[in-house]
Amino acid sequence: MSDEHHSKSSEPAEAPLHGILAEYDTPHEIVHAAEKIRDAGFTKWDTYTPFAVHGIDEAMGIKMTILPWIVLGAGLSGLATAIIMQWWMNAYDYPWIISGKPLWSIPANVPIMFELTVLFSAITTLVAMLMLNNLPEPSHPLDLVRRFAHSTDDKFFLLVQASDPKFDESETRALIDSTHPQAVELVPEDHKTSKQLPSVLIYGLVIVSVASIVPFALAAKGRYSHSTTPRIHIIQDMDSQPKYKAQRENPFFADNRSTRPVLEGTVAVGEEREDDHFYLGRQADNSFARTFPAQIPLNDVTMERGKQRFGIYCTPCHGQAGQGDGMVAKVADGLQQGTWVPPSNITQDYLRQMPVGELFNTLTNGVRNMPAYGPQIKTEDRWAIVMYIRALQRSQGAKAADLPPEARASLH
Amino acid sequence: MASENGKKNDKKKAKARKGGKQPKGEQAAAESTHGFADQIQLAGAGQKLFVQAAVVAGFAFILAVILGNSEGDGWRRFSFSYLTAFVWLLTIGAGALFWVVLQNLVNAKWSVGIRRVGELLASNMPVLAVLALPVAVPLIMGNDVLYSWASKANVDADPVLQHKAAYLNPTFFAIRFVVYFVYWTWLANFYLHKSIDQDSSKGDGSEQAASMRGISGPAMIGFALTLTFCSFDLIMAIAPKWFSTMFGVYYFASCYQAINAVLPLILMWLQRSGRLKTSVTVHHLHDLGKMLFAFTIFWAYIAFSQFMLIWYANVPEETLWFKHRFADSWGTLGWVLLFGHFVIPFFGLLSRHVKRSRKALGFWAIWQLVMIYIDMYWLIMPEESRQYLDVNFKLIDVACWLGVTAVFVAGLAYRARGIDLVPTKDPRLPKALSFENI
Repeated sequence: MSDEHHSKSSEPAEAPLHGILAEYDTPHEIVHAAEKIRDAGFTKWDTYTPFAVHGIDEAMGIKMTILPWIVLGAGLSGLATAIIMQWWMNAYDYPWIISGKPLWSIPANVPIMFELTVLFSAITTLVAMLMLNNLPEPSHPLDLVRRFAHSTDDKFFLLVQASDPKFDESETRALIDSTHPQAVELVPEDHKTSKQLPSVLIYGLVIVSVASIVPFALAAKGRYSHSTTPRIHIIQDMDSQPKYKAQRENPFFADNRSTRPVLEGTVAVGEEREDDHFYLGRQADNSFARTFPAQIPLNDVTMERGKQRFGIYCTPCHGQAGQGDGMVAKVADGLQQGTWVPPSNITQDYLRQMPVGELFNTLTNGVRNMPAYGPQIKTEDRWAIVMYIRALQRSQGAKAADLPPEARASLH
Repeated sequence: MASENGKKNDKKKAKARKGGKQPKGEQAAAESTHGFADQIQLAGAGQKLFVQAAVVAGFAFILAVILGNSEGDGWRRFSFSYLTAFVWLLTIGAGALFWVVLQNLVNAKWSVGIRRVGELLASNMPVLAVLALPVAVPLIMGNDVLYSWASKANVDADPVLQHKAAYLNPTFFAIRFVVYFVYWTWLANFYLHKSIDQDSSKGDGSEQAASMRGISGPAMIGFALTLTFCSFDLIMAIAPKWFSTMFGVYYFASCYQAINAVLPLILMWLQRSGRLKTSVTVHHLHDLGKMLFAFTIFWAYIAFSQFMLIWYANVPEETLWFKHRFADSWGTLGWVLLFGHFVIPFFGLLSRHVKRSRKALGFWAIWQLVMIYIDMYWLIMPEESRQYLDVNFKLIDVACWLGVTAVFVAGLAYRARGIDLVPTKDPRLPKALSFENI
């Protein structure tokens, strides 16, 4: 069979010889043959197998590829790109606090570092692998050898090129025969197929490349040019509605305002606050009240409520005993920023003397750094807090003699 | 069940003694075992190892008990040291069991020649169960030295613990503890016995191979669940108010790293003593090295994923656990883990040459085993001093580690008596022996 082929392919002698192709049946045979060719000192030769054959690298004397180093470099570039990109975007070019984290926050950046490291490595692996293998290769003399199609199916091939300095047609042929191939064939150079990529492919690539620039060009134009025509409104949704919006002109009314002012004397629900003592802590002469309003029952229930509200709203700054030593105050003191006004010790003397109405007014409208709690705490609860503050002020300066006899007994 | 296993073992032993009596000289024995051209029995070295390890274990435990008693803290320091050493050791045992099940699950051929070593490591599970008793028994008796929720008084005083009491209570823990170790022991013994059956098989051994593969799927699911909950119970429950559903995977990452570090070390030791000279090649070590490398990354991936979710959400009940572990010297230890357990070994193990060099691979295998211990230390020890004081590494930590490890080694040497270290009748063995790795 091999003789028949040899005679056939050597007949058309016009084309110069590209190399000698040998065919084998098993991976074992081709590994064995490759060792012989390697030991004979050839450099321009290759093997073609349907799958990766273990040990073929060594049998062919192939040096370790540099691909891992390229991939390592790409991976590190991806890592660096991710770090620089996120620093530039989040911390430098457009500082933007997200979830209360620092502007440049490494833990938040790690997933992107990981992703870009993998992405750069993977793409580089593919591209560098193709390039190191001289791919894509539009034509190869072996494409014209019919039996070579089996290299993707069930046969193993070895090709020694005629351009190898050690190549000598008869000697090399004898060497190859000594490896017991299934068949040997002389492969002529391919002068029929063009070495160029098909022109359709080239034009196609050019058109696709140019077209891919268009969206970027449009975006660039949009950023740097001005237009007087309104934007194209493709999806209307509910943007246009048959009604007058706030701050728009409405010819129906004499003053042309679509937003109508409130009628004289209108009172919104829950806004009727005639009782100055209860709502403002003031007496009829506008001085601060020294008594609790009649609406507030002076009993344990109110006191318990006041204690609870005090615990929620006041202790962060003023502390459990109102000494001005809450957690916020401690932390702020620790920062030593200079702009901090420490919260008052609410058991000090001038606050003991202060009318309850004034304490209530402070709670409602705030003082110095302290914000207004009027909008947050209900009126009854603010009075309850004032009542609890009075109790705190009393307790902090208390002497043992102030206690009832039975409580005093439990001290010992 | 234990006695039944014992009987089976004795039979095996007898058979092995009758079948192939080993000549003393190891080189002379090279071709004697079932006509397999390699020295594949521990023989005398196993006995020597057993005696040495038993002596070391005895001294180490005596030292640990003396040191633990002299602390005068109600055995608190001893318990924490012991738990750290034990969960470190468990990474090897559980990792070996996972490795064996995995090789069968994927019908791996490259690893057949080294499978028996993994099976022997895994079948040491009863030793681990016994070693777990100093942790489990006080807990079940209601002692709160390690686990505050074990004591009724602590639970009554804490509404959070009351809420968790349905799971975290000594009775349920005892049930789970038994389930874990009975399941693992059964599974490991199943694989070792089937594999040994294969050695004396009349057929081509494919029947046993099919049987081992058949159970591996469900076994793997069972293993995943038991390992996850075991790590919850033994480590996470030290700080009962902290929780992470990812913790099981985190511990598993260490398990699989541990086995891929221990296997090359054992194989190198065996080869240095003249065994498995031809059965194990650089290609097998290379693959184990790849796994060690891969799971170095996996550990970092899981550790970071667990941390980042908690860091980003910033919920106090979750962050507190990390806060203690990032403060002061514990924080330094955290940095040691980040660089020592991931960054440095990542670049160290990256190269193909490192994974194919015995010295380099052995170095990194030991390095990672040390890092796994530091990881366990970092997980457990901050809870030891109730005020989260500084890292305070003591001699008792070394003594406990040496004690449990030596017991494990002694158990392993005892287990390997008369057992071939290579499954000679496995139909896939030729492929494993001629395995080549690029």
